[in-house]
Amino acid sequence: MPAPNQPGTIQFEETDVSESLDSPWNVIVFNDPINLMNYVTMVFQRVFGYSQERARRHMLEVHQHGRSLLWSGAREQAELYVHQLHGYQLLAKLEKTDL
Amino acid sequence: MIIPRVESVDAKTIRISNIDSVLAHCLYEIPDILAKRSAPGAHERLFQDLIADDAAANADWHNYTTPELHHLFASAGDTITRDLTGLADKQVIFPAVHLDAWLSALNQTRLILAALHNLTETDMEIRQLDLTDPRHHALLRVHLLGDLLYLLIAHSQGGQPT
Repeated sequence: MPAPNQPGTIQFEETDVSESLDSPWNVIVFNDPINLMNYVTMVFQRVFGYSQERARRHMLEVHQHGRSLLWSGAREQAELYVHQLHGYQLLAKLEKTDL
Repeated sequence: MIIPRVESVDAKTIRISNIDSVLAHCLYEIPDILAKRSAPGAHERLFQDLIADDAAANADWHNYTTPELHHLFASAGDTITRDLTGLADKQVIFPAVHLDAWLSALNQTRLILAALHNLTETDMEIRQLDLTDPRHHALLRVHLLGDLLYLLIAHSQGGQPT
């Protein structure tokens, strides 16, 4: 193994490949026949800061198609969103994005 | 049927009036229904898994989130229970800062009733209720509390229904 900083060698920093190439996580909300439509819209506005129009669009997607993708990104933030959604008693889960 | 009315008394107080005897009975039942949040079915509905089919991740998730959610849900229930002691003359007045607790407690109650009675989307469409049937009786309570929840949400958004 060459000595560190020896002329003519290139050093590579070790990186956690599995972490850096980790695919994003999706926050999915599922349909629930009990939760009111205006309640679901309100929760999307509060949790994600969406406009009423955007929140309502997601609510209708949940209602008509059974689920809606609300947010996608790093796992830690996605877990925070799911935790908030569970606090509002919406049916929500994390799903890994298929790359 | 009398439709309840939700309005601001002033910047810090909300009044629900036109509460008929049936809705009042439903409201008085809320503490007892919320006390069943740990019953089978209700617990799974309120304290959900994080990821489908990942037992290890879900165990960690429940260790982390269940105590906090339990506190959140119980606190909302305690608040509405205290406020309901003031229900008289078909009205109840409560601090505006309690509104989120009312939204949470009403929604919890509806979800617990639905879970305990296995209410489905088809059930929610039933309009002819047989009140000798416990499931239909639960449905009536889910609908009445839902109507009030709807009005409270609209009030929280400045009266604009979404």
